[in-house]
Amino acid sequence: MTTGQEFYLVVLLVYLGTNLLAAWGLNLEFGVAGIANLAYIVTIAAGAYTYAVCTLGPSSNHSGFQQYIGGYTLPFPVAVGAGALGGVVAGVLIGITGLKRLRPDYQAVVMLVISLMAVTVVSADQGLLNGNSGLALIPGPFSDQDPEVFRWAYVGIVALACVAGFFVLRRFTTGPIGRTLRAMRDDEYAAAAVGKDIVLLRLMVQAVGGAFGGLSGALLVAFIGGWNPGAWAYVETLALLTAVIVGGVGNDRGVTVGTFVIATLLLQGLQFLPEITAREGLKQDLGWILLGTLTIAFIWLRPQGIFPERRPKYGGQSP
Amino acid sequence: MSAQAQPILEVQNLAKHFGGVHAVDGVSFTVGRGSITGLIGPNGAGKSTALNVIGGYLPPSSGTVRFDGVDVTGKPMHALARAGLVRTFQLARVFGNLTALENLLVAAPRQRGETARGVLGGRAYWGSQEKEFVAEAKQLMKGFGMEGKEDEYGRNLSGGQKRAVETMRALMMKPKLLLLDEPMAGLSPSLSHQLEEMFLKLRDEGLSLLLVEHELDTIERVCSKVVVMAQGKVISEGEMAELRTRKNVQDAYVIG
Repeated sequence: MTTGQEFYLVVLLVYLGTNLLAAWGLNLEFGVAGIANLAYIVTIAAGAYTYAVCTLGPSSNHSGFQQYIGGYTLPFPVAVGAGALGGVVAGVLIGITGLKRLRPDYQAVVMLVISLMAVTVVSADQGLLNGNSGLALIPGPFSDQDPEVFRWAYVGIVALACVAGFFVLRRFTTGPIGRTLRAMRDDEYAAAAVGKDIVLLRLMVQAVGGAFGGLSGALLVAFIGGWNPGAWAYVETLALLTAVIVGGVGNDRGVTVGTFVIATLLLQGLQFLPEITAREGLKQDLGWILLGTLTIAFIWLRPQGIFPERRPKYGGQSP
Repeated sequence: MSAQAQPILEVQNLAKHFGGVHAVDGVSFTVGRGSITGLIGPNGAGKSTALNVIGGYLPPSSGTVRFDGVDVTGKPMHALARAGLVRTFQLARVFGNLTALENLLVAAPRQRGETARGVLGGRAYWGSQEKEFVAEAKQLMKGFGMEGKEDEYGRNLSGGQKRAVETMRALMMKPKLLLLDEPMAGLSPSLSHQLEEMFLKLRDEGLSLLLVEHELDTIERVCSKVVVMAQGKVISEGEMAELRTRKNVQDAYVIG
């Protein structure tokens, strides 16, 4: 394996890991709890920006090259934790807008608008998070180490976060709480009629889902070192949503496979198409067309996804 | 003679207006402890709206609702349900992507698995309680003649089965007062007869019921007291056999 191939593999793995964390969080919100959070990417951005301002040091260090609020030099684990917390805050704030008794499709529209507004505000305000140019030179862990060592160590960190994340995720999607969330998804009013506090449950889900998004964003930005509004356009949520719908709405393992298929095989596979000079950015456009087509095809032909949600069986026999 | 027990439900001057429409227009009645009270009236009388307001689904425009001696006016549905005032819906609302048995399990009160400690601790913390709930839910399903349907998804159940599941789900909560919105609608005669028996048995065990129903024979058989509504108001109150002879009740049903 050449160094280039090795580096490519590392990139693929880190992207897969951070995509998995994000897709799991979105599946908890949309697939399990029924909250069509079309602003989910905002939680990822919140995690990325929080990590960035927690590690970049004071803005004045960059002699006008980039401006931002805050500016600390916290150690990597603390900054990642802060990123996850940033995701929680963003998730809960988004969740609050969905509490009004609106039809779910209207709630989805409200959240889509929030996503657009967030990008617009961050792009427009240069002093907040360096506007449209975004933040660069964001340090990762072991930046003083040999990059060869760093890369694989970082894959290890992301893998660890995924294993721990999946364990936590399962605690929320299985058992009595997972059942209650799915009941809320199927019929909010009937769930309230059997004593479920919908407001509390929705905010809890938004907090946990936001933590996954924030963690994903922090781990991603620590690896790639830069982050700007172009990285978190509203369509990015739709890419994750495609992974959820294709894999299997409400099924954690299905979404894991869906993320691998969509984010790694499909979108990365497209990069191996020959370059067409006459049409710049064709590959990327093709990617979006494919995602949209897949979403429509699955909703029409196999709405349950590759791996449908399965509920535990208790057997017909009385004990 | 001991003092008359306080009613489980006291509704006073309850009103619900939708713009200029007075769907419920100053309604007062009580439901006695351990009794079955019927709420009848022609279509559009405001029965379901009254039930929706009492059950916390809609906020009232005015008036008060006292449950078990406590003013619960305008309290949200989930809080009322936890306090023991549980309602069912006119159109059965089952959780379609949960199994029949899970529909019942969701409603089990004070589940350890729903608490922060339960989420963190996992099955070790809630497993044994869950086992009891499963046994209880299976028992209920047996009583409703739905043995063998435990693992069927809610969406695949027939209309009558959905209705039965909804009633069982409400019972799973160990309510003090059940508000039932046309529980017999769409049930086979044999199942609705079973349900009648079940209601009488539950009443004898101390449960109070408020029953909105169109089937007047059922009402006559199970209800000790019947409240008649028409055009948003209570027009009569008493025993069914006697109400049948009243002129204003007959008029309300004939004229609507």
